[in-house]
Amino acid sequence: MGDKNEKPTFARMKTQPDMSGTALQTEFVPLSVIRILGKKLVLQLKAFFFTMQEFFLFSARAFLSFPKMIRYWRDVLDQATICGTDSIPIVLVSSISIGALLAIEVGNLLEDFGAKTMLGRSTALSVIRELGPLLMGLMLSARFGSRNGAELGAMQISEQIDALRAFGTDPVAKLVMPRLVAALIMFLPLTALSDYAGLHSAAYMAEHYHRLDPGIFWNSVYPRLAPKDFVVGFLKAPVFAIIITLVSSFNGFAARGGTAGVGRSTIKGIVVSSGLVLIANFYVSKLVLENM
Amino acid sequence: MIELRNVDLKYGDRQILKNISLTIKDNTIKAILGPSGVGKSTILKLMLGLIKPNSGQVLIDGTDITGMTETSLYAIRRKMGMVFQGNALFDSMTISQNLGFFLRENMKLPESEISRRVAEQIQFAGLEGYEDQLPESLSGGMRRRVAIGRAMIFKPHMILFDEPTAGLDPVSSKKILSLISSLRHNNNLGAVIVTHIIDDVFNVADSVAVLYQGEIIFDDVTEKLHNAAHPFIRSILSDKILEI
Repeated sequence: MGDKNEKPTFARMKTQPDMSGTALQTEFVPLSVIRILGKKLVLQLKAFFFTMQEFFLFSARAFLSFPKMIRYWRDVLDQATICGTDSIPIVLVSSISIGALLAIEVGNLLEDFGAKTMLGRSTALSVIRELGPLLMGLMLSARFGSRNGAELGAMQISEQIDALRAFGTDPVAKLVMPRLVAALIMFLPLTALSDYAGLHSAAYMAEHYHRLDPGIFWNSVYPRLAPKDFVVGFLKAPVFAIIITLVSSFNGFAARGGTAGVGRSTIKGIVVSSGLVLIANFYVSKLVLENM
Repeated sequence: MIELRNVDLKYGDRQILKNISLTIKDNTIKAILGPSGVGKSTILKLMLGLIKPNSGQVLIDGTDITGMTETSLYAIRRKMGMVFQGNALFDSMTISQNLGFFLRENMKLPESEISRRVAEQIQFAGLEGYEDQLPESLSGGMRRRVAIGRAMIFKPHMILFDEPTAGLDPVSSKKILSLISSLRHNNNLGAVIVTHIIDDVFNVADSVAVLYQGEIIFDDVTEKLHNAAHPFIRSILSDKILEI
């Protein structure tokens, strides 16, 4: 350690006398950097697990509030209008455009193989199993999730949620449970609508762009659809409803730091719920298709 | 009666409250005076069980609420009304709906009784003609009066005021203070007022606790504040700025 002939190495860049002043103590810079990074990682992991714990408790409280559904039926109806009826235009626009686009691209591809008559089947499978529910999920994550995050975040920073608690009302039962029930009810018909609009726009493009007879298109759709195709698609609706509502509401409740804080929590809610929707989409498909 | 016994509170590494002990008797008005950011509002949130202390006890009518679950706290909280600093009115509801909200939520009263009590509070707060307005269309003083009405409507034993006159013009402040004074005379209500305005204390409070650097440095009847020897109290009494 104190050998003066020893050449300094990369790991011994910084030397300083120890407390007694008699020997040189070498501080390994990379190790200290690793130590700091390690400490930060531990703190972040701790914060992550704490947030996850809070999220699961929050979710459990939302589900346990289901018996209060009758008491808050007006709130459930209001939320059903917001996440259901009011979301129809955006769901229709996205599913019609993706259905049409899918028919054009897949039709071009199948034409090269002389299999254009299979256009209906390929489009139907894509729309019913994957694209219909996924697009509906992403659109509602942006529309319903952002509304939840912003509204609940604004209520949090203006102490309205504290006011509910202070006067003896459970804010999760009053604000989150109606949103969750409404989403669970409304996401199923929205998925059906998304599938319907996507398939019909694909059929329209098949007829007018690829000059495919509608009879041929629909004949390749109906006889070949199996129950598992519908199970895959419709099982995603309640899964997405739970993810979008709970993630966006939790982030709204966690908003801190004024209007900028509301913005941050809303963005976080949309980003996390959209990511989870994509992951859940994959696993639900995998689970059902492997087991049915 | 509200009692805080040896309460300590930390946010992370920051010590907010150190060994706080306070008693607020029924039918009295107690002020908690101190500079901004010293933890005054935190004391009100502790009294309601909205946050929990790191150590010590918070007793409401003799019941320690520190270990209680959120659900069991609701019944305790209904004994108190709270007027938040920013009023915390529900901005999507009209004034009448705001006033009647907690009666509809928590008390099984007939709709006629709820309407009667709402009308009573509208009259008490001098808000006739504004029943169907949204809070955003009211002035700051009017909103504060709605918040007071909302806290009073279910007849609590005690009302907690967080900076009741902050941000109001002198006329509105005077109205709010006379409203607070009338509470005890007309309704036999107790109150806790958190404020950084010393005039409010002398106007309405029977007793005052001064909070400074997380500790209570004075706790006695309001008149005795003039005789306090602590340099901080001396400085605020000689018209110096409260935020030292």
